[in-house]
Amino acid sequence: MDNLIIAGREFNSRLLIGTGKFASCELMAEAIEKSGTEIVTVALRRVDIENEDDDMLSAIDRTKYLLLPNTSGARSADEAIRLAKLARAATGINWLKLEVTPDPYYLLPDPVETLKAAEILVKDDFVVLPYINADPILAKKLEDVGTATVMPLASPIGSNQGLKTRASLEIIIEQANVPVVVDAGLGLPSHAADAMEMGADAVLVNTAIATATEPAEMATAFKLAVEAGRMAYETGLSAMSKRASASSPLTGFLREQ
Amino acid sequence: MEVLKINGVEKQFPAGIPQTLTGLLEQMDVNQATVVAEIDGKIIERQNFLQTHLSSGQSIELVRFVGGG
Repeated sequence: MDNLIIAGREFNSRLLIGTGKFASCELMAEAIEKSGTEIVTVALRRVDIENEDDDMLSAIDRTKYLLLPNTSGARSADEAIRLAKLARAATGINWLKLEVTPDPYYLLPDPVETLKAAEILVKDDFVVLPYINADPILAKKLEDVGTATVMPLASPIGSNQGLKTRASLEIIIEQANVPVVVDAGLGLPSHAADAMEMGADAVLVNTAIATATEPAEMATAFKLAVEAGRMAYETGLSAMSKRASASSPLTGFLREQ
Repeated sequence: MEVLKINGVEKQFPAGIPQTLTGLLEQMDVNQATVVAEIDGKIIERQNFLQTHLSSGQSIELVRFVGGG
């Protein structure tokens, strides 16, 4: 299989993992390892002064995994830019999952604020991976301002609904000159395989793994699904037809002519 | 009385505020290695925590990484 290349950096795995919602750091670490991922997302939040938790970052081997801080919680471009700068100060790396989600019910990304923030952050030397609705025009505009990828959603974050935006995803994939990472809503390994068969360059999964009964097992399942889907895409999918096409010979039947 | 606004909450320091950001984090028992700080909207790099002097009335944000998608 081809490697995934984002902003000139090469990755063997086409599965990105989110680190939210895991019941413990141990379960998270185990799932990350089993997934084969090389990119993991993290969020920035205020320190809870009264309740000092263990530091979750210590459970992630930074020599093996690229940290991809997100701007979750940002409701505007300005808030996202502030979070981006804090994240860069914290990690020393300039990679960023840009997300601006003012709507608390569906957590849908704001296209106007996302594009505005992306333009500013790219100029400030960030490697920007924007989370967007599956909007082909927006995807092109983001690519034009220099984002490293586009990350269209399959369905609302954490909803596990699968590829509800299929038709638009297909157009985005067809038109993109940067990697397309299908992010959000992939609830089953088959959803991930489906996205990869469509030609997505990678997928990002969090909830479906983190909330599984056995996160490490589910991480393995997603790893295999992503590999299978990619392999099928690279090989070239067989054509679809309305009518049947016999797989067995149509001669030599045991019956009268 | 000297005060600091820490993560949006005003905190009073009857005995005076700590001299430096490092002093404040130690007093609050926050692990410095994992924290990013912002004072009055300006990011303070971790290596500058010790040299960063505090004054009463400042607004300080202390953030850290948590699990997220």
